[in-house]
Amino acid sequence: MTQSPFFIEIEPTEIYLEIPPETQARQQTRRFSTAGRSSYAYLNQLCLDVFLKWLRQAYPQAKPWIPSAHYPSVWEVVNGSAITLVGHTADPRHAIRLVLIPSAALDISELCVPQEWVDLPSWAGDYYLAAQIELDEGWLRIWGFTTHKRLKQLGEYDAGDRTYSMDANALIKDMDVLWDAQQLCPDEPTRASLQPLPALPLPQAENLIARLGNPEVLMPQIEVPFTLWGALLENAGWRQRLYQRRLGLPEQWSVPQWLSNGVSELAQQLGWSQVTFQTDLAGARGTELSQSPVSILSRQLIIAGQSYELRVIPEGELQTRIWRFELIKSATDLAPTASQAARIPRAMKLRLLTEGLQPFENNEATATTSVERLYVVVALEPGEGLIWEVEPVPDNYEREILRF
Amino acid sequence: MRPRQEIIEIFSTFLVFDADRLQGWVTDPRLRRSIERSLTQLSESERSEAFLELYWYKAWQTQGSHLAQSHLAADLQEPCYWAAFKATRCFESVEYSFSDCFQVAIASLEKVLQGFDSKRNISLKGFANLKFRSVIKDTLRQRWITDICTPWALLHKLSKKRLIESLQNAGLASDKIQQYVLAWTCFNTLYAPNETLRRTRTTRKMVKPEQETWEAIATLYNQYRHTQLSATAPLVSSSDLEKWLTACATAARQYLYPSSTSINAPKRGQDEGELLDDLPDNVEPALTAMIGEEEALATNQVNAVLLDAIKQLEPSLQQLLQLYYVQGLSQQQIAKQLQVQQYTISRQLTKIKRSLQQYLIQWSQETLHISPNLDVLESISTMLEEWLKVHYGQK
Repeated sequence: MTQSPFFIEIEPTEIYLEIPPETQARQQTRRFSTAGRSSYAYLNQLCLDVFLKWLRQAYPQAKPWIPSAHYPSVWEVVNGSAITLVGHTADPRHAIRLVLIPSAALDISELCVPQEWVDLPSWAGDYYLAAQIELDEGWLRIWGFTTHKRLKQLGEYDAGDRTYSMDANALIKDMDVLWDAQQLCPDEPTRASLQPLPALPLPQAENLIARLGNPEVLMPQIEVPFTLWGALLENAGWRQRLYQRRLGLPEQWSVPQWLSNGVSELAQQLGWSQVTFQTDLAGARGTELSQSPVSILSRQLIIAGQSYELRVIPEGELQTRIWRFELIKSATDLAPTASQAARIPRAMKLRLLTEGLQPFENNEATATTSVERLYVVVALEPGEGLIWEVEPVPDNYEREILRF
Repeated sequence: MRPRQEIIEIFSTFLVFDADRLQGWVTDPRLRRSIERSLTQLSESERSEAFLELYWYKAWQTQGSHLAQSHLAADLQEPCYWAAFKATRCFESVEYSFSDCFQVAIASLEKVLQGFDSKRNISLKGFANLKFRSVIKDTLRQRWITDICTPWALLHKLSKKRLIESLQNAGLASDKIQQYVLAWTCFNTLYAPNETLRRTRTTRKMVKPEQETWEAIATLYNQYRHTQLSATAPLVSSSDLEKWLTACATAARQYLYPSSTSINAPKRGQDEGELLDDLPDNVEPALTAMIGEEEALATNQVNAVLLDAIKQLEPSLQQLLQLYYVQGLSQQQIAKQLQVQQYTISRQLTKIKRSLQQYLIQWSQETLHISPNLDVLESISTMLEEWLKVHYGQK
């Protein structure tokens, strides 16, 4: 490491964090379309890991806005990551989103935030943190921050690269101001109001994914009007498809393929697994097939601190393309047998949507009283995609398109 | 250095150096005539330094007056001098000269003025003092890294804003700057430190891209030139791009070495431009008094509150405050002196700042009945920093 003789004097207002050499030396496992994207992704990963680790010393409940396995699909096209913090004030439900924007620049003249983090309603944060990373010296510092509201009011929008930038002079330098504001005036608005983007119909999304999924389109983020681009990104499943396409990766979300060849690595990271299912099926399905074990897919969910399991089960032969989505409460240590297992509480919902987020007939099951299981059965066309949702929202939930 | 006393002098004279030696004060006759004329038009009570400082600041802010900026440049010579003085003492291991540091600081005048907020900062001089110090520190650090970076690595270590400023500083026209910025964006998209350089902490050694990469950068540039620049933007070759990006790196380097700026080059006058004195440059405690006088009334109260809060700190923390803010030692120097790690010092300073900050917030709530919001909390933080670094140090 080459340490400059002007070893940074850590200002009492700054957060200065050393990057452990082993963290920095860790190999990047995911691929990106260009050297530039790969380098950005690396900075983002490092910054998120190091900052989150620090933040969790004070707030153990802080977590990435979306599951870590989903971030590469963001970093392939947008710089920055976000952290969710809940319950750090007197109100246990008070939640904020911190958007972390890393830069390897030597100068700290500005904070430059991609438009996606500002104008997409589902992405926008409360606070935007400017992180400077000095890779060769192994440190990063958070040298300033601002709010969404100020960024919209005072930031300069550059239509060329679609960023909002804020001059260093206009940033708040002292991170303690953020924590004090959260304690003393948590209700002061931090966000400017945003208009939702017009919904993107599936055929148009397909077109965009085909066009922008071409890795030769090197700057997809400025290729089409922002409203189209933004609507595409806001659908996490489409964003995943775009990433897959740009990297030339095989389909990661094909349920029939998971059943025949095993669950893809990405889906495994997100909690999906294949299990052999041979319990009391007779009661549930009333067929003789229950004698032979059936392979099904299962995903662990944590909802309001409790464990649940989402199951995707082929009904009958695969060719019939009838699928059953089932939500059950996981057996706990205290109640290890099925009969004692706790039930699904009233008002919990399991819902299926088309990949364009449209509802359809009989797409939803609600627990009107506490029940043993919630299920929805659907008949699908080959290649059709579905998104599942559960209410209340599970921890680390991010929409995913399951392909059938 | 002899501190200036007379208002006319303060707003019309500049420090001049011969090589690294301070020569003394030189009058700019034009500024002198201007300030003399102004004084005749002001009332008795308005003929104060603090008043004129704010007056010229407002003139600069509202009318972009060059004359006002020149008066402020003259006015801020002392903070600039002390910032340079402190830097040469803190970074004694490095060979940057005093006049070099002074030059860096005064060249940042416009940015300092842009950052000043008369509602939030205690005084322009205090704020400038703070900013000049951080500009010198940042610039020296950036120079040091820039010197060991390859041009290709340097291109990755620029913000877009810095690149544009560097190109403006190099005198490029705005359409040319747009072309260069697009070229730079394309370069960054296709060429970056690879995984080995990142993991082994050697990104500063990034080598020149292969011809194939230059071709790809040119293709990308040409693909976006119409949508990003203009319908008539000409096609460029890979060798053009290589030249442009080399020029960008050169401009970014030069930007860190401001040439003797016109800001500090008084027109040596025919009749009045004689050297005013010839004192050697040593510390003059008499300056501190001048800065104290500029404080606004509201801050006098803050002053008392903070001094009181400091008295309640543990003696070891009070000693640390003395070393850091009053004697102006660096954290490294203090660590050495107290035989502890630098991070211990920095944590203690953070702790002190935190407790004073909370004290002030509470005081503002209880005594001034100000309900806290983001703006108020930011003001308290800003004021505290300036107070600690400038005003407390000069008590």
